[in-house]
Amino acid sequence: MDSGREGIGGWLNPTRYGWERVSYWLQRLTGLGLLIYFIGHVYETSSLTNGINAWNSMLALTQTLGGHIFLLFVIGASTFHTVNGIRLIFTESGKGLGKPGRPDYPYKAASLNYKQKSGIWVAVLLACIAMLYGGMVLFGEGG
Amino acid sequence: MALLKLRESQIMKIHYLTAIAALFAVAVHILFRLIMPFGQSLAYPNVIANYHNIFYVLLLESILILISIHGFNGLRVILLELRQTPWWESTITILVLISMIGVIAYGTRTIVIAGGL
Repeated sequence: MDSGREGIGGWLNPTRYGWERVSYWLQRLTGLGLLIYFIGHVYETSSLTNGINAWNSMLALTQTLGGHIFLLFVIGASTFHTVNGIRLIFTESGKGLGKPGRPDYPYKAASLNYKQKSGIWVAVLLACIAMLYGGMVLFGEGG
Repeated sequence: MALLKLRESQIMKIHYLTAIAALFAVAVHILFRLIMPFGQSLAYPNVIANYHNIFYVLLLESILILISIHGFNGLRVILLELRQTPWWESTITILVLISMIGVIAYGTRTIVIAGGL
């Protein structure tokens, strides 16, 4: 019997669903990425304990074009994850879900409304602005 | 273990509270990198000086604990979405707790040693 379980394939499948689905997996992918970055950052910072040469060697790996581009992605991911996470906290506490109503054709769910969609777009927009600002700091004078 | 007996709603409250607290703590952490040119703020003497400031040390330890709890619980939530059996749920919870404690211990070691340099 088909268990109906689609695993990671189903988790990543953006079709059949709207922007809420894209936001669902972006929240998880950015979360996983940020956890990996966090562990790497804790490890990278530990080079401090081995003295100035170890610190400068570790810093040389990150103070490159590739390192700065990677940091820009971290900035974008953390901003999206934060803003979309705040939307999800409001949603889980029942805010912005709309009022339940009779399911009439074309069966649009009240919960998937403009408030939710605009929340997702605000998260994307702020992530882009944060990346732009991050780029100015990283690639600007003294970066 | 008491942690394994927390209700999912209580764990999610912890998840959200650690997220909000981490947001403010990380914002201050980033501001410390922006009070002077970014590259200069990462110079060894400047970074070591940060570790001699007790308020900054407390902030770093808070970030370490808050993000470890939030991040590893998020990983647990994702892994529990993929499969639901009592064995899987207990195993994932225990592995995630061990990883979380490991990262906090390793980060705290850096904070303690760098504070003494």
